[in-house]
Amino acid sequence: MARCTLLACLLAFAGLAFGFRTSTQTSSDKPAKGQFATVQFARDILPILSAHCFTCHGPDDKGRKAGLRLDVAETATKTLKSGNRAVVSGDVNNSAIVARVFAIGDDRMPPPKSNHTLKDAEKNLFKRWIEEGAEYQRHWSFVAPKRPTLPEVKNKSWIRSPVDAFVLARLEKESFQPGPEADRYTLARRVAIDLTGLPPSPEMADLFVSDKNPDAYEKYVDRLLALPSYGERWAQVWLDLARYADSNGYAEDQPRMIWKFRDWVIGAINANMPFDQFSIEQIAGDLLPNPTQEQLMATGFHRNTLTNSEGGTSREEFRNIAVVDRVNTTFQVWMGVTMACAQCHNHKFDPYTQEEYFQVFAIFNQTEDNDQVDNRPNLMYLSAEQAKHRAALEAEMSKLQNELKKLHPALDAMQEQWEKEAAKDKLPKNIQAVLGHVAAKRNPKQKEELADYFRAKLRELKELQPRLIRVRAELSQVQPVPTPIMKELADGQKRTTKIHIRGDFLNLGTEVKPGVPSPFHPLHEAMPPNRLALAKWLVDPRNPLTSRVTVNRYWEQIFGVGLVQTPEDFGLRSSMPHHPELLDWLAVDFQETLKWDTKKLLKMLVSSSTYRQSSKVTPALAERDPGNRLFSRGPRYRSSAEIIRDQALFVSGLLSTKMFGPSVRPPQPKTGLSAAFGPGTDWTASTGEDKYRRGLYTYWRRTTPYPSMTTFDAPTRTVCTVNRPRTNTPLQALVTLNDPCYVEAAQALARRIVKESGSTMDARAQHGFRLCLIRPPGEQEVRRLVALYQEAHTTFAKNAKEALQMATEPLGPVPEGMHTAELAAWTVVANVLLNLDEMFAKR
Amino acid sequence: MTFEYENRLHVTRRHFLRDCQVGIGGLALSLLLGDRSNAQDRQANPLAPRRPPFAPKVKNVIYLHMAGSPPHLDLFDYKPELVRRNGQDCPQEFLRGRRFAFTSGTPKLLGTPQRFGQHGQSGAWISEAMPRLATIADDLTFIKSMYTDQFNHAPAELLLFTGSPQFGRPSMGSWVTYGLGSDNENLPGFIVLVSSGVFPSAGNSDWSSGFLPSVYQGVQCRSEGDPVLYVSNPRGMDRSMRRLSLDALRDLNEMQVAELGSPETRTRIDQYELAFRMQTAVPEVMDISREPRQVIDMYGAQPGAASFANNCLLARRLLEQGVRFIQLHDWGWDFHGTGAAEAITEGLRTKCRGMDQAVTALIRDLKHRGLLDETLVIWGGEFGRSPFREGRTANSPLLGRDHHPFSFTIFMAGGGLRHGITHGASDELGFDVGDNGVHIHDFQATIMHLLGFDHTRLTFRFQGRDYRLTDVHGNVVEAILA
Repeated sequence: MARCTLLACLLAFAGLAFGFRTSTQTSSDKPAKGQFATVQFARDILPILSAHCFTCHGPDDKGRKAGLRLDVAETATKTLKSGNRAVVSGDVNNSAIVARVFAIGDDRMPPPKSNHTLKDAEKNLFKRWIEEGAEYQRHWSFVAPKRPTLPEVKNKSWIRSPVDAFVLARLEKESFQPGPEADRYTLARRVAIDLTGLPPSPEMADLFVSDKNPDAYEKYVDRLLALPSYGERWAQVWLDLARYADSNGYAEDQPRMIWKFRDWVIGAINANMPFDQFSIEQIAGDLLPNPTQEQLMATGFHRNTLTNSEGGTSREEFRNIAVVDRVNTTFQVWMGVTMACAQCHNHKFDPYTQEEYFQVFAIFNQTEDNDQVDNRPNLMYLSAEQAKHRAALEAEMSKLQNELKKLHPALDAMQEQWEKEAAKDKLPKNIQAVLGHVAAKRNPKQKEELADYFRAKLRELKELQPRLIRVRAELSQVQPVPTPIMKELADGQKRTTKIHIRGDFLNLGTEVKPGVPSPFHPLHEAMPPNRLALAKWLVDPRNPLTSRVTVNRYWEQIFGVGLVQTPEDFGLRSSMPHHPELLDWLAVDFQETLKWDTKKLLKMLVSSSTYRQSSKVTPALAERDPGNRLFSRGPRYRSSAEIIRDQALFVSGLLSTKMFGPSVRPPQPKTGLSAAFGPGTDWTASTGEDKYRRGLYTYWRRTTPYPSMTTFDAPTRTVCTVNRPRTNTPLQALVTLNDPCYVEAAQALARRIVKESGSTMDARAQHGFRLCLIRPPGEQEVRRLVALYQEAHTTFAKNAKEALQMATEPLGPVPEGMHTAELAAWTVVANVLLNLDEMFAKR
Repeated sequence: MTFEYENRLHVTRRHFLRDCQVGIGGLALSLLLGDRSNAQDRQANPLAPRRPPFAPKVKNVIYLHMAGSPPHLDLFDYKPELVRRNGQDCPQEFLRGRRFAFTSGTPKLLGTPQRFGQHGQSGAWISEAMPRLATIADDLTFIKSMYTDQFNHAPAELLLFTGSPQFGRPSMGSWVTYGLGSDNENLPGFIVLVSSGVFPSAGNSDWSSGFLPSVYQGVQCRSEGDPVLYVSNPRGMDRSMRRLSLDALRDLNEMQVAELGSPETRTRIDQYELAFRMQTAVPEVMDISREPRQVIDMYGAQPGAASFANNCLLARRLLEQGVRFIQLHDWGWDFHGTGAAEAITEGLRTKCRGMDQAVTALIRDLKHRGLLDETLVIWGGEFGRSPFREGRTANSPLLGRDHHPFSFTIFMAGGGLRHGITHGASDELGFDVGDNGVHIHDFQATIMHLLGFDHTRLTFRFQGRDYRLTDVHGNVVEAILA
């Protein structure tokens, strides 16, 4: 049995190999015949070198042995001190590399001590590569993509989108049939969850299912893309990358007010801001000419770094750590490369030096922020409307105050006099308390309280004083919201940047100027080398990675696995793309044709025949394409923590549609613990609809993130998270079975079931099922749900106390006209519905 | 077989964990890799018990973290010369080019106010603050030449538990769980207990799985409410009703498997059954009132309280049930002298009382049950404390010490160690390592060695690099091994 699987797998992988061609290929654009016609450096040799040889013969000159560097032609082919040449084009006998990899004993490369061994196949690859001319190529992802031509396919009618041509060509090459199209109910739920993070209502789904027009699906997708929930769903993905959270991190983990940045992301995504602009504003919105408040707010992206206010910390040390994080995160998010490795030494596998690392560091090293607990500099944000309102109120306030002065020039003196003379025991308690402090010790609020009380007693102020109080109260409602932003140091205060030897900010090396790593295109010469230049450099058409990395991210979100399976690493040690031409086609199309329009990109993906396939796994498919790397069926994988929670609230009718604003605190179990040197970690739960907001509005405290979401793999957001794992654990089962939030959702769902559907058990079971899963249930499924209902009902009918608890704790009293035992039993059924595997995954 | 395919395997193998949750992809692949049992098990059940590559000396770890870092100079590292020079200016050569958290200028040397004595056959120096521990001195292995790179709590804890002062790396317990799996599938393999009301400084990053799959992260058991989150059924639902509902859930999920054939669904069915068993296993193991009175008293535990003593007793109970890595964090060891409770005189003796009793009881109890030989008990802070009075409290009547990364003491007990020895020493004033320095990474390498791992070989590919607990450092401290 194991052997069969093994064989099938071998075939599948051998098959994968056939279709592989990179856009970087130069020497062999002719189609491969049989097995590889030629060995290609980028595809075949470089991965072996980076895996086994670069520790001593890679781009890092430290620790380099024998003066030999193998990743570039000039150094690999030169005559070494020993008189040998590692690589001699076409000459196997004189290429030392061949002799050494085939050597036995101490001469062997890689050396026996290194724990690295090459397989015979790998050794032979070196040999063939030399025989065929030893041509060097650049790593595939470092060469800007060119648009490949669409491949020919047999089954032309299956093609809905260029995506399909690439996928089908590959399937046909492997003699696979694409899967049948999923039914419309399945599609209705799948695409709604993918685009908005929520299922459709059964009515919205029915409308689509019964729409006979040929463009029914397209119209349905357009409707979803236009929903505000679209921005909320995709903001979650971006906020992981931005390491957005509501606290400073480290030991104290003080609260941080930066939710305006989160709201900016949602707004920008809903407005379909082109991805290049979206990028530029976040990295350098403050450096744009006359930046708007929104553009400043966008720079909060890099103010999501941690702040360490623990006693005895050095601000300069943690400011440097924040700058390091900005460098690393920028290259992770936009280019999928691991610059972080070059902070302390030259990169071991990819060709970036430590000096180049600090050139980028120099770009980010010029902002004002320096690890302050209040995260200054902050933008004090007021919307245009609010600002107008506030100005009007302030004008009125000063007008009233002037009137007051005119009317009563000696008011303050009068009050002082009164304070001395008043019979204190006749005054109200609060005023007595204020008078208990000497005047100098009263806080502004107490002074206000006292003045209000005193003035209210003066007849001539009877009208004026209440007006003043009213305006003041109104003014306090229109307060600016602080949000941390990037702010460049003034000229004359600019920092010089020196290399941090071994990454130590106190151990400084030579001075470096701002710049970017040399394997890539240079910064625009006409621009000062600052963050704005860097931002534009990232989205420059010459940038080989940004577009690839971005389309790969969208692909991964939709299809469950990226075309490049290592989204956090597109460097030399990355996994090779499974469909390299598809990746490049999408990358070019996204920039050139779609002009960075993400809604259009998503629409293209979800409209494809590839996406619309049924997710059914036949035993044959399971054997031949177990991981669905060929996209021979529709995507099916577990949803994110937020989607799982939002969905439960949505189908039960509890979910609030309120958008934006300060983060909320849904109920969570108490820990009884405080943060180290910091505030308690327990919170008072939000009330009203704030209990039921979408997950992305949940207060995200880094040291103790919301536990039920953590259980479903939500990150702590201390660092940039490129992709979340998708685990399947018993702790997750406990959350969705027993967390009071999910129990409450089950109770609410039970009430919906009873209220909205007929009185038969079958009708109710069907309705509940459809609310959750959209598709009509099978007969067997209804029978099983009804059977559970009856069993539960029998028990609850005999146990009034348990029935009441089951139906009402924590949701609240049984609505009039409903029966407790019935509701309790439907709650049990609803609890099961909310825990169906199908609820966690797309179908 | 094509060469390209071979290359692809290199890549894919490193990434196969990524596929684990996806289904059988990883499984078929692992067969190809000839790494069958390991990869296959990890694929089917990431927590399946696994053998380490080398014969292990121990199979369990109980880590007792004294959060804040106890004043080792007042507990174990006796410095008569420092006592003699108490109150003198600190020699400049110790201060030059160094940063301290709360001290600048020239502080005054601070000899210990605690009385020290030698104990056991081994003659170990232990102060009067730890009278009970002194009675088991011959079971302990001291390292008095520990040093670290970090002098603020959070980064130092991160370095200690994850091998790096930056966030984002897996913790030691996660690495061990990744390497060994769990012996009891009804309980998490890596459990964390927190006492004295405060999280450690690096928060849950001390037990984070970092970039490892999150099944390997530590599960914090709580002393308030559910010991494991949501392990109790909702009010009104008893165990038989839960069973009824899970039966229906299983049947409905089975219909789904029959129709769509997703192996993921099958896995989920299993997880729900596991959760059902956890619902009884967890409250049972967490209920210390099931222990005989004299055992409870020996630890100084109190059923229902949230104390370090309770956690020590729980650690033993969890260990008996097959939990392999148990990490205790106890707050309140940051002895700056900023309050009477953090002063190294009476404050220290008071704080030590409960810990001294519980730790001694734990080691005796494990020994009595024959569990000590297969367990490693580790006691220590994230750094040490300075041999001088810290800046802020220099003129206060209360004596306190600053953070000190340059030398400190930890002790261990358990299997694979030479007992009753002291390894390494600080210099005569307790400033620097005197001899046989043990860096945090060396210490981690040694723990991994005792568990049967070569710390350089237990790696995980992330961002193109094979990461490991010890970064690119670490040497096993052979001298302490039996």
